[in-house]
Amino acid sequence: MSYLKALNLRQAVALLRGNPGRIRVVAGATDLSLQEMPQVALDITALPETTGLETADGFFSLGAALTHSEIANSHPVRHKATALTEACASIGSPQIRNVGTLGGNVINAAPAADAAVALVALGAGAVMINLEGKTREEAVEDLYAGFNQTIIDSGSEIMLKLVIRPCAANEGSSFERFASRKALALPMVNGAARVEVVDGFFRSVRLVLAPINPAPTRLLNLEEKLQGAPVTEETYKKIETEAAAEVEVRASLLRCTAQYRSHLIGVLAARVVRKAAERALERK
Amino acid sequence: MDNQEVVFTLNEELVRVYADPAESLLTVLRDKLGLFGTKVGCGRGECGACTVLLDDQPVNSCLIPFGKVEGRRIETIENLSRGEEYHPIQKAFVEKGAVQCGFCSPGMIMSAHALLKTNPQPSLQEIKTAISGNLCRCTGYKQIEEAIASAAEKKSRR
Repeated sequence: MSYLKALNLRQAVALLRGNPGRIRVVAGATDLSLQEMPQVALDITALPETTGLETADGFFSLGAALTHSEIANSHPVRHKATALTEACASIGSPQIRNVGTLGGNVINAAPAADAAVALVALGAGAVMINLEGKTREEAVEDLYAGFNQTIIDSGSEIMLKLVIRPCAANEGSSFERFASRKALALPMVNGAARVEVVDGFFRSVRLVLAPINPAPTRLLNLEEKLQGAPVTEETYKKIETEAAAEVEVRASLLRCTAQYRSHLIGVLAARVVRKAAERALERK
Repeated sequence: MDNQEVVFTLNEELVRVYADPAESLLTVLRDKLGLFGTKVGCGRGECGACTVLLDDQPVNSCLIPFGKVEGRRIETIENLSRGEEYHPIQKAFVEKGAVQCGFCSPGMIMSAHALLKTNPQPSLQEIKTAISGNLCRCTGYKQIEEAIASAAEKKSRR
């Protein structure tokens, strides 16, 4: 096996092109280390294009190889994409967060990947570059192809960055998870919301929960019903009952029983929307 | 497996090691370099016994493919004591009874070492977060937290 570290994007793309069928892009490699390493690993964590954290044209541009720690410690992200900060800060353990990357959390496609759940709630996009050097952007929620699988081919594409529209003054976001411990624990349920509040009413709500399907799952019916709903206790009650009714969950030996998870989904859905709304109101 | 030359800084010394880049850093440290202070626990990033510092940040050496270490700085538990003279964190662990079977201690101490490098006066909550990736199955965490707090306090008084 050989382990190659690309120093610039041109070199990375050339290495991909030169090793068809046997090369695979790696970043933190924390999950890959537990599986079989590819014949040729292309480490992309030293590229300027995958490690920047900046605001460009009013959007956050977060390098796909930034670590969870780097994201969690970013003040602009904490201020205007709070759900992502909260998600990155709750992944695994400090040791994992210092190595695991934002892009890896999406591409590895675990069904309740904390950062991916927050990214979908925030409406993030992902930018990839292919062998011809052409870039394309896809919504993170559209990247999933099945259990532990995305449509990204790690042998011929590199995810460069995640783009997020920062929350405006009347918007807020939040992420939470239920797990049996505060660290080193798979979530039984995790969820995130992004809301926009105008004059005491929800103008828009994005509400995502997992693990329900292979991809982080938006509760589209409930999102639609919440458009124009007042920011009141009754609305939160309604979220609690309707969120649990909208999705079907399974029991998992690793996580918890279906009944308990169904209950937690209601509680968590109401909680993340409430927290996001409080933040939207605080910011004004 | 094909070996590859990897040049990196290990405990403040530049080293050149031929090894399989797919091996974990943990395996290379122990089996190639004879540094047995770093422990093999779960081997899957869930216990923290193999914690070392990568560019001053705590990481699970069992999850780092050796090839990744090229050009980076690694610090292991062996770098802490100066001969017979223990490091202040090690002394505090002894004084506060934070060691029982001792298997988690190197990892705990490396997590504490990383914390105190960047945050010399941590709060109790910050200490708890810093060792949240390190499992201890015997002392309970109280004595370990006290030891880290005590090491921080002694360091700030000096």
